Amino acid sequence: MTAAALLIEGLSAPFGSAPGLEDLSFEVRSGERFVLVGASGAGKTTLLRAIAGLAPGTARRMEVAGHDVAPLPPERRDVVYLQQTPLLFPHLTVGGNVGFPLRVRKVARAEAAERVQQALSAVHLESFADRMPRTLSGGQRHRVALARAIVARPAVLLLDEPFASLDPSLRQEVREAVIAIQREYGPALVLVTHDLDEAGLLGDQVGVLLGRRLAQVDRPAQLFGKPASLEVARFLGIPNEVPGRVAEPGCFQSALGALRVSRTIPAGPAIALFRPEAVRITERGSMSAAVVELRHRVHQTTAIVDVGGTRLEVALGGTRPPAVRSLVQLTIDPDQIMTFPPP
Amino acid sequence: MALADPARRELKAVRWGLLAAALVASPVVAGVVYSAAAATGLAGFGPHGFSTDRLTRVLGEPAVWESLVWTIRTASLATLLASALAVLVAMTFRRSGRVDKLARTLAVLPLPVPHLVAATTAVLLLAQSGLLSRLGFAAGWLAGPADMPPLVYDRAGLGMVLTLAWKELPFLALVATTLLATRGAALEETARGLGAGPWDTFRLVTWPFLWRGLLPPVVAVLAFAAGSYEAAAMLAPSDPLALPLLTLERYTDPDLARRGDAFVLVLVGLMLTGAAVGLHEWVRYRTTELRG
Amino acid sequence: MSGVLSAGRIAGLLGLGLSALLPMVLLAIWSVGDRWFYPALWPSRLTAESWRTLLSGEGRLWAAGATSMLLAAGTGAIACIVALPVGRALARLDGWRGHLGAAMTFLPVAAPPVALATGLQFSFLSLGLGGRPIGVLLAHAVPAVAYVSLYFTGVFTGFDTRVEEEARSLGASAGQTFRFITLPLLRRPLAEGFALGFLISWAQMPLTLLIGGGAVRTLPIEVFAFVEAGQDRIAATGALVLLVPALVALAAARLAARGTEVAAL
Repeated sequence: MTAAALLIEGLSAPFGSAPGLEDLSFEVRSGERFVLVGASGAGKTTLLRAIAGLAPGTARRMEVAGHDVAPLPPERRDVVYLQQTPLLFPHLTVGGNVGFPLRVRKVARAEAAERVQQALSAVHLESFADRMPRTLSGGQRHRVALARAIVARPAVLLLDEPFASLDPSLRQEVREAVIAIQREYGPALVLVTHDLDEAGLLGDQVGVLLGRRLAQVDRPAQLFGKPASLEVARFLGIPNEVPGRVAEPGCFQSALGALRVSRTIPAGPAIALFRPEAVRITERGSMSAAVVELRHRVHQTTAIVDVGGTRLEVALGGTRPPAVRSLVQLTIDPDQIMTFPPP
Repeated sequence: MALADPARRELKAVRWGLLAAALVASPVVAGVVYSAAAATGLAGFGPHGFSTDRLTRVLGEPAVWESLVWTIRTASLATLLASALAVLVAMTFRRSGRVDKLARTLAVLPLPVPHLVAATTAVLLLAQSGLLSRLGFAAGWLAGPADMPPLVYDRAGLGMVLTLAWKELPFLALVATTLLATRGAALEETARGLGAGPWDTFRLVTWPFLWRGLLPPVVAVLAFAAGSYEAAAMLAPSDPLALPLLTLERYTDPDLARRGDAFVLVLVGLMLTGAAVGLHEWVRYRTTELRG
Repeated sequence: MSGVLSAGRIAGLLGLGLSALLPMVLLAIWSVGDRWFYPALWPSRLTAESWRTLLSGEGRLWAAGATSMLLAAGTGAIACIVALPVGRALARLDGWRGHLGAAMTFLPVAAPPVALATGLQFSFLSLGLGGRPIGVLLAHAVPAVAYVSLYFTGVFTGFDTRVEEEARSLGASAGQTFRFITLPLLRRPLAEGFALGFLISWAQMPLTLLIGGGAVRTLPIEVFAFVEAGQDRIAATGALVLLVPALVALAAARLAARGTEVAAL
């Protein structure tokens, strides 16, 4: 199953009457999960709908399981689009809803019933077939919509922020359902989310939609470790940003002094970015800093320090947090400093 | 002024609400009560003293049943026609382009036209010496006014059916287009996204949604059409008489004793209205859940 | 039905346009046609006589029009005043009670006017209201109040009462809240409610006929009389006069209501 289930090359899709997405290209294989992230309004929904055929879009190539789908109406593309708020047909039972895609594909009654049960099992709703949608909870509706989306085994499944409106416990439930059904028979999954952690957890590949283009498409580890541009790095929320210049390869001059950096861009003005984890408080370090503030999060405490006017966020690991207003010594790991040309 | 606790406020609200509704409905209730009294001899014209004779007599008259059947049949045909057209208009012009918006505006435009105006136009248009007949003559299809099939004052009530349907269409079209514009579009898209073609989408998703939403207005419109006086007075035949006309005829009968008959018919009319209104609300109650 | 301008859609558009505009055009022609007998497709003479008579304030149409205008305005006003609290009270009912309330309110609207008038005639007569304009006004008010009440129920269902609670918690009395907060918010619904009540009275015929007993001559009654008498030209003039304010009133109310989520009818 290494053939591309979904192949997009040069896709452009307008936002209403305004210019929209431009020249997007990516590929998703069967059984793979492609997670699309981007700011609100970036066009993630527009992209999914264009692939589904529900919104206008043009592309050099748009292929599903090897077939060109650009001229085809939505129902013939072998693609299923699941909206953020699942809309179940109110006049049909759960079984009727889940069986709908099979009914319109003229699948025989007996086989359809069996597949409906399979789909319901995959989302742990086996006994719900005769219930009416209005009697279901939010999470149950989500799962029914999921079952309905996969029962016809489309080659490509497009999920638009499937977990956004769910509480954390429900989110886990539906997330597991998504992974389970994909394991069942392996469609290519394109998932939209604004939660970066979720993208890292779920995605085999992550695509960052910024400024109407795909700024980067990479495995999560690559994306988080090596953002391709300043915009992507900023999008990822990397806090420590220091303007300066690359004096010579390996040396970055800034208000922090001269920093050793393992990999730099060519000499010239630059901006250095690094994570809180790149900075450590050490016995003897390359610079002194005053602790300004401590930030307590669920899984991590960081310290905001001031180095001669520049504020940095420092991860504290397991060590005891220093007192506010105390002086500390910092060491920055040259391997973890990224440099980018200024915008 | 201290605010009463929520439970008492709730009870107060319920009491005031139902009281208000009862106030508004009181004229009808008064009418029913009086008609029942007059029909059974407790009030009004004719012999006094409670008796169900008049009731049984009037309800046994074939003319009355003919009138009732004719009235309901005409109203039903008109409503069926208007409903079918309304669905057609709503489905054909459900997109958001300028053409669609124009079509929807045109469909709803005749909404405030008074019944009388619609009936007047119909008479002038459809009478045997009316404009349509003259067009037929000019086209050579008809040799004279007598050749024109009667569309007004005819037993089939065609002119009346057409006029009633014309008057009902804007309202039903408005409801249908609103339904489609709100949830209809989303449901349709969901179905298309799941692989349903245009016909299957309509058959399995859009139509079930539409008819459930249209049922209450259709019932209401049916009641209106059956009770319409203007259209009947100007377009309906004298045999069988439409129910409102029959009622009026008996009520203004020079024989005072027969005037009481009208109240039996009034009772029938008001009872049927009550049933229609009840059905209308009951259907709304049941389908609100489905429309979410 | 695929392309924007497919044959079916064009036919539909033409049909709708014809259906909507033809009556007005025809009535206009009829209102100025003199000696227009069968089988002529066009009047042999055009005359503005009906219009001149009307606009000079003479004749039955003018008198009837004035009567109708007064009655309709009165009905609109009564309907708004009564329906406002009624609608508000009804909006507070939930579930089956709400539907019960709506059904009761709907009764006077759905009841056949002939049946309604016949049922009410006796009480009106005994109150001395028969054959008098005030009686007709009250008779018109019955369905008008009901219809506008249903309308206001819709308005108040979507009404967020929290703005009033906010005003009260900021120190305003009930009266002040109503004057400064609620009433301004209700300006548009009140305009539309008035237009609805106006329209119900303006177009009403059987109630006027029965309660008014022929003594109160409104525009619909005169038009009806002229049609029965075969006086097509005057009838068409009257019908147009009946028609135009109806269209204008509703169009104005809808224009005023645009921007609010409440749409009547």
